[in-house]
Amino acid sequence: MPKLRHIAIAAEDPEAMAEFYKKAFDFKEVGRPNGHLADGVFLSDGTLNMAILKFKTDQLGKGMDYRGLHHFGVLVEDVEDFTKKLDSLGAKHYIDQGHDGHQAGYFEKKFFGPEGVLFDIAEHGWAGAEPLPAPLKDAAE
Amino acid sequence: MAKLRHLAIACKDPDAMADFYCKAFDFKLVSSNDGTLAYGHHISDGTIDLAILRFKSDQIGKGMDYTGLHHFGVLVENIDEAQKAVEALGGTHYMDQENPDRTGGFEVKLYGPEGVLFDVAEHPWTGSEALPGAEIKEAAE
Repeated sequence: MPKLRHIAIAAEDPEAMAEFYKKAFDFKEVGRPNGHLADGVFLSDGTLNMAILKFKTDQLGKGMDYRGLHHFGVLVEDVEDFTKKLDSLGAKHYIDQGHDGHQAGYFEKKFFGPEGVLFDIAEHGWAGAEPLPAPLKDAAE
Repeated sequence: MAKLRHLAIACKDPDAMADFYCKAFDFKLVSSNDGTLAYGHHISDGTIDLAILRFKSDQIGKGMDYTGLHHFGVLVENIDEAQKAVEALGGTHYMDQENPDRTGGFEVKLYGPEGVLFDVAEHPWTGSEALPGAEIKEAAE
């Protein structure tokens, strides 16, 4: 089964917000993304990647002043299979990861689901996030 | 370490949205509720409780028409200690669970930096994974 492995928060001051969650919940810093879409801090609780980001574009259509929870990400076995499935369910493809070398550790495709909710899918996993559980077949070998 | 175990989405049609994510990612419907705060569904990937809700009050100050990611929830070992830590860091208390005997949902709601709302609970959200080691601890008691 796919797994929720990423949540992103839009912040004015990612540094201060990340510091808060590190101190409050002992989340660990696992990266400093700095790309054309956003800058910020990646935290991890050991299972999920929590991205605290200052976005550079208005991905949600809520304006550049929007602050708060922004999108989530689902780790899947095969991005292409899930792209087809999402398209068939009416999700709207938004963008693909375009930066060489960013396929691992970041989103791979972004979609809008019902009511314009933005989510990512990836098959390589976000920085600091747990991989998909091994299939029973692998575990038995 | 505390764990991210809950993510809530505000929407107009929780039935349709929950159905979408169950079909898209094989998430399982865990419960449906019509309470004082919201109507909606809880679905799970086996680790995280994804709550898809039509809220009945404006908890995040974005208006009753707001749709999108709403808040997250952190499972902690001790709710009182977590609340004290959050407040010492400048977080503010918003509300407590009105029925202190109810578990499986939020126990306390707090605002963090930039007004981001999050829940904390020391009992797992229904359908979500317990803290690592919790079962071992319980079994030993």
